Amino acid sequence: MAKANESIAAGLIARLAPKRREAKGSVADDLFDEAFLKQLELLQVIARRLFSGRQRSERKTRKVGSGQEFADHREYSPGDDIRYMDWTVWVRLRHALIRLFEEDEDLPIRIIIDTSDSMMSSDGKKLRYAMQVGAALAYVGLANLDRVGVTMASRKAHTTLPAVRGKGRIFRVFEFMRGAESGGKTDLKATCGRVAAESPKPGLTVVLSDFYDLDGASEGLNMLRFRKHEPVAIQVLDPDEADPRRLALRGDVKLMDIEGGGDRDVTLAPATLTAYAEAHERFCAQLHSSCRSRGIHYIRADTDVPFDDLVLRIFREGGVLG
Amino acid sequence: MTLGGWTLAQMWPLMAVGTAAITAMYLLRMRRRRVVVPFAALWEQVTRQSESRRLWRKLRRLLSWLVQVLILGLICLALGDPKPEVWLRDPMTTAVVIDRSASMTAPSDEQPLQSRLAVAKMHAEEAVQGLGPTDNAVVIAAGEEVAVASPMAGDPSVLVPGIKAIEATHGEADLSRALALATHAVSEQPGPRIIVLTDGALSTAGAEALSQCVEGPVPCTVRTIPGPAENVAITAFAARRYPYARDKIEVLAEVENLGDAAILVRLDIEADGVSVGQRELSLPAGASERVSLPQLDAARSRFIARLSHANGATNDDGTPAAVGLAHDDLAYAVVPPLTPLNVVLVTDGSNLFVEAALLTLDDHIRLSAIDPTAARAGAAELEEADVVFFDVGAEKLPDPLPSKHLVIFDPWRHEDSPFFIPKRADKVRPFLTEQDRKHPIMDHVVLKDVNIGRGTTFTTAPGDQMLVGTLGETIGVLREKATVTVAFGFDPRQSDLPMRSAFPVLIDNIVRYVAQREAGFVASIGVGQGRELVLAKLGLPSDGVTRVEITAPDGATHEAPVERGRFRLRALQPGFYRIAGLDGAVAGAAVELAVNQTSVRASDLHDRVAALELPPAAEAEAAPPPDPLSGGPLWTLIILGVAGIIALEWATYHRRVTV
Repeated sequence: MAKANESIAAGLIARLAPKRREAKGSVADDLFDEAFLKQLELLQVIARRLFSGRQRSERKTRKVGSGQEFADHREYSPGDDIRYMDWTVWVRLRHALIRLFEEDEDLPIRIIIDTSDSMMSSDGKKLRYAMQVGAALAYVGLANLDRVGVTMASRKAHTTLPAVRGKGRIFRVFEFMRGAESGGKTDLKATCGRVAAESPKPGLTVVLSDFYDLDGASEGLNMLRFRKHEPVAIQVLDPDEADPRRLALRGDVKLMDIEGGGDRDVTLAPATLTAYAEAHERFCAQLHSSCRSRGIHYIRADTDVPFDDLVLRIFREGGVLG
Repeated sequence: MTLGGWTLAQMWPLMAVGTAAITAMYLLRMRRRRVVVPFAALWEQVTRQSESRRLWRKLRRLLSWLVQVLILGLICLALGDPKPEVWLRDPMTTAVVIDRSASMTAPSDEQPLQSRLAVAKMHAEEAVQGLGPTDNAVVIAAGEEVAVASPMAGDPSVLVPGIKAIEATHGEADLSRALALATHAVSEQPGPRIIVLTDGALSTAGAEALSQCVEGPVPCTVRTIPGPAENVAITAFAARRYPYARDKIEVLAEVENLGDAAILVRLDIEADGVSVGQRELSLPAGASERVSLPQLDAARSRFIARLSHANGATNDDGTPAAVGLAHDDLAYAVVPPLTPLNVVLVTDGSNLFVEAALLTLDDHIRLSAIDPTAARAGAAELEEADVVFFDVGAEKLPDPLPSKHLVIFDPWRHEDSPFFIPKRADKVRPFLTEQDRKHPIMDHVVLKDVNIGRGTTFTTAPGDQMLVGTLGETIGVLREKATVTVAFGFDPRQSDLPMRSAFPVLIDNIVRYVAQREAGFVASIGVGQGRELVLAKLGLPSDGVTRVEITAPDGATHEAPVERGRFRLRALQPGFYRIAGLDGAVAGAAVELAVNQTSVRASDLHDRVAALELPPAAEAEAAPPPDPLSGGPLWTLIILGVAGIIALEWATYHRRVTV
């Protein structure tokens, strides 16, 4: 088995090498290198162990249909298949009820990566991290024979990779990510709305963003939820941005929004930095609370945590791919 | 302050242009450092509060401008190379002489809560603090002993500790030696001068030395620290045994009011911690009064006299307040030890009456008898004798006679007698017609009807006293010089005097008279007086003693060599000194000696400097203000100050970029 994995990784490297050269100058430069691919293989092996015993693509939808597992009753209405009548109830109560079953359906995975300018700060550290996590999730999903689609969007650009299936399609995912246009303002509401509209089937939708969008973030996630998606919010944070005390900023500065908002003259004192760190922490807590209240899985991803550690944490905590 | 570099005319344009440039730069908009943030909306929420402090920000900007202008001003000042005036004058060498006599412990007029010495030390510190970078000073403390408190130095940090360490001593200030030392120390140095800090309560010698110093080649100025002259002192204190009752003692104290106003004081005398007498004395200005306590038990050995205010005035801490000077409010005395007189009788053995009379005095004398031959051979007993009785009859006297107290009967039996009072005439059956009955030797003695076979009269010299005479000629004589000589010009064997009751009385009177004169017992000595003391006179036999251990009242001990029964002692503290023999026959034995401040001059607080009428130039001026910088160019310190301000500004305002 190990030899087989190594041969797959070697093949992946051989196919990706020229692409890396073509994508020179992008945020994704050297992103999906040999080490990354080896880590993906390792993740896939670990994921297989975590999900061992489960049939492939047996993720259940919330749809009620023709599955094997009883889900509910409903009143009989003319035209219903009488094979699903609950005769026991009819005999006992003389009440016509139809038995409903959960429908086993292939659940698509949609990965949304925020490519706005805020994700490009600190030399695109957050975007790179989000792409790594997204690629890892996609790889694991493809390895499980799930259909995986990727959307990289901001207000400026919105590109979508239609859902693909099969482990070998991971290279398309890489190429898509490498070639996606980045920049522009954060607009999670529009992005999520568009994804929800474009998706023919609701599924697991992982949103990788810093969520630096005070109102749009919650609305976008809500929009996915209303379209029967199972949204997962992964907030990618740069610790230096979350706590600017680590950067030891001082004095009179002009704060400029990376997404092109207005600038602001401020005097940075230790107290100001502390206040910002506390406000940022409150913002994250508020997002977490908001997600939890809506049944949305929330994961905080600091960029100083290796992406593979984060992915494993996601697997272990469950609810995303498990 | 003088500018050694740029002139004011050169500095002002730079200052004006620089200030204008700084102001122009501050009027331009500040270019802030740009910081790109990913979440400006959150920053806006946080920084909204700081916006409300815009007024303070404006003030801070003004303050920053002022700091920059200050830095520019300091740089201009540094270019001017400022130098204090004191740096530019010629170097000076100053000898500061501080009077630390006992009188300096009295309060001063200048600062009543401080002693004169404290004020003098303060002025001395001011003087050394005002030294220029090329000046030097030496500090001399003048007490009973003269000491260099601080060696020659130019750094006040070296000189001041020595000044602070000066403490008052007992006794007077030896200004003569102190000024001689000061003159010697600075005379060869550049810009010599002497500053004398004293309260003016000087001895005659001190005042004369000061006057000579002022008129001397080295400029000498005097700064007096006046104070009230009120003081009452114990000027004498002694205890003695009664001549005729040696188991009883008498204590005598003399108290003198040296101030200018009448005062009522109380004198307490205690012996070995027990009060034995108390007197209240009302003393007009300048008056003195003697107090004696008679018939005290001789068992007491230590006496202390203590002077205090009659109204019981006390200090803040509850201790009795001093009457003027505290040093002279205490006096000490010890009772002289009972030591027998060493009497040697030179006799041919034919007259036992003299020996018998002497033997009755056995309690007071140690009698030894030798024959004339041994005396002529220079017997050792004569060397140790206090009194030598010669009753040799027909034998010859030793030549020369021992230099002791002598009692000689019939010294001119032989014409070649070595006796130093010349013979006047031989007398046959002389009648004793005159007698000095008031003289102690003749007390209770009547000789006028004594029958004498033969005798000789003496040719007396001025100072000799005739004890007994015959028809105007002296036949019994007393000569007192270094020693006492009592001579009778007849032989007791050739008279009926030994048969009379007057004879033992006469012998006893002679012995007592000599003993009292010999009593040279040193009851007390003065503080600071270095003097030679005879062990025997302290009541400690000097047989074979080569070293003594001296223990001061504060417990400090030192050894002193003894040579021929004498040693030198310079006592610097009042109190009881203990003298112990370390070797010889008295090894381990000890006696006590009282030391007092007995100098009336040292207790007199009147200013004698004013009476000297010193020229105005001799009055010391107030010390110049301390030189803030004792060395190094001032501009370097200014630049350091500028660097400090910049560092402070950077630390408090750093990361701010102004254009």
